Amino acid sequence: MPATSNPAAPADTSARRSQPRTGAFKRLHLPQKLRNLELFLLIIACAINGAAVVLVQLGALGRIDTSLVLFGAGLSVLVFALHIVLRIVATQADPFILPIVTLLNGIGIAMIYRIDVANHQSGIDSASVRQTIWSALAIACAIAVLLVIRNHRVLFRYTYIAGFAAVVLLLLPLVPGLGREVSGARVWIGIGSFATFQPGEIAKIALAIFFAGYLVRNRDSLSMVGKRFLGMHFPRLRDLGPILVVWALSMSVIIFQHDLGTALLYFGLFLVMLYLATARLSWVILGLALFIGGAVIASQTLSYVNGRFTNWLDAMNPDVYAAPGGSYQLVQGLFGLAKGGLIGTGLGQGRPDITPVPQSDYIIASLGEELGLAGLFAILALYLLFVARGFRIGFAGQDDFGKLLGVGLAFVVALQCFIVIGGVTRIIPLTGLTTPFLAAGGSSLVANWIIAALLLRLSDTVRNQPRLVV
Amino acid sequence: MSVSELTLLVLRLGFLLLLWLFIFGIVYALRSDLFGQRARKMQPDAAAAAPAPSPVFPASATAPTEAVSRPVVSPDSGGTEKATAQSATRLVITSGPKAGTEFPLGGEPITIGRSGDSSLVIRDDYTSTHHARLMLWHDDWMIQDLDSTNGTFLAGSRIAVPTPVPLNTTVKIGATSFELRR
Repeated sequence: MPATSNPAAPADTSARRSQPRTGAFKRLHLPQKLRNLELFLLIIACAINGAAVVLVQLGALGRIDTSLVLFGAGLSVLVFALHIVLRIVATQADPFILPIVTLLNGIGIAMIYRIDVANHQSGIDSASVRQTIWSALAIACAIAVLLVIRNHRVLFRYTYIAGFAAVVLLLLPLVPGLGREVSGARVWIGIGSFATFQPGEIAKIALAIFFAGYLVRNRDSLSMVGKRFLGMHFPRLRDLGPILVVWALSMSVIIFQHDLGTALLYFGLFLVMLYLATARLSWVILGLALFIGGAVIASQTLSYVNGRFTNWLDAMNPDVYAAPGGSYQLVQGLFGLAKGGLIGTGLGQGRPDITPVPQSDYIIASLGEELGLAGLFAILALYLLFVARGFRIGFAGQDDFGKLLGVGLAFVVALQCFIVIGGVTRIIPLTGLTTPFLAAGGSSLVANWIIAALLLRLSDTVRNQPRLVV
Repeated sequence: MSVSELTLLVLRLGFLLLLWLFIFGIVYALRSDLFGQRARKMQPDAAAAAPAPSPVFPASATAPTEAVSRPVVSPDSGGTEKATAQSATRLVITSGPKAGTEFPLGGEPITIGRSGDSSLVIRDDYTSTHHARLMLWHDDWMIQDLDSTNGTFLAGSRIAVPTPVPLNTTVKIGATSFELRR
């Protein structure tokens, strides 16, 4: 297909692009028009973030504490630094991604700070300060990605290295001495007693790059041949290899790392990218059948999966509620959401700290309690806009690798939101994943800011094609 | 408490309002993405020559599903020389409002349509949002119609499948036609 023949082409066209021919080119946008829009939205986003922290202080403390201003200002400066980097290296990048992500990150920090206030924690050990430091690190990573990767097609060359890196990152927590087990899931690595990191979060980016590159190279055999059955094209038996490998990978995450959510995330990502590359519904049906089969067997044989299913289906049963590892957390989260009602109790005025881990897995329940349905829907709308921008970038992409990568990266954020928020609101069994950009957790922040940076880079390359307006 | 309940209530509602204003601000800025680019008014004489069809809706989102359609190399294309990555260097507009302008061909695919993110943006009533694309397939330039409303014509006949484009042969999209040249 076209993209296979030209991944190295942009080197010479980019040189041509920088010196437009006379008359033939007319830029549709003035060079900095997009960036000015971004600056405007960014200022509003930072103002909302500041307002959120002030409201938490007014609600919970009854006064404004200025000691936190320094941290907030530092973070805003970094975000504006990223904006300036975009003005220099990616002038045509999408103007909405950065403000949306900044706002989500800031609301998350405000909520984590609110939990800290309730738990009387402050200083360097408090979750909100740690989250702020991690955010700074994540934004620095995003800037580095934008500076190093000047064209997304470079990533096409590293398809198999990305695949290998993903597998290594996934296996790291299983290495004795390096892996850490937190509340039953062995998905962390740590050196000594500090600096714990979830390598699986970074692995999802590597997997998206690998799947995109692999499918662009090999999709012909996956989409062209096969038998028609029940009105659908089914693939040949020997072409089932890739899907079985990814399925085995997901199942091993469930069995060895006890992490249902991550397994679902990886497998869902592969299925969607496979569907995008081949346009065959049969792959999705096959994949879902495989995954549901695996999940049902796991729920019967693995006690932790079985417990999750019981908590989900029978949450309001007093025995399940009171059992250790029972549905106490889930039900408390639902109570919090119910207390919030339509417009919430107001920031700093609810009791989100009753729910266990209100700042990471349950941040959506905490936000729902204090901002209400109106605030929760606003947050969901922010995610919707972010994901829609990603799909749009993928749709506008001119090479197949960029298309697949853009949609894959956006979809992984969407699926992660669905898995977490669906778990908290009892639509699906609860699994331990972080809410992108909001929840306390360094590795998740770093990974998601890198995703945002890659989408910004993709959107810049897409818009920067030589163009002629008739 | 130094802050009254009423102040807190007002601030709380104000915060939610601000949040939603931000979202609607973004949606407002995105409106051309949601409703498509505006078509340019046709010249009166051109409109008289070709009576306008029913309003053109943006093409449905079928563009990324091109994987199912196989490029077909038609046997009768041997008459004229094929446009390959080496032989064709530019795209020349031969008729329409911008007749005579040129566009350099790189190795990258060229998308044609009314949407602002196309490489070749044609803003008339007959062009779909994502109308067609030119791409290199095994070193040959192929034209593929992306399920456009009014079709893509190669040397006068409407194309249904990705078709190789010979050099100096007219491709017609809406009121604009172009050729690939050395």
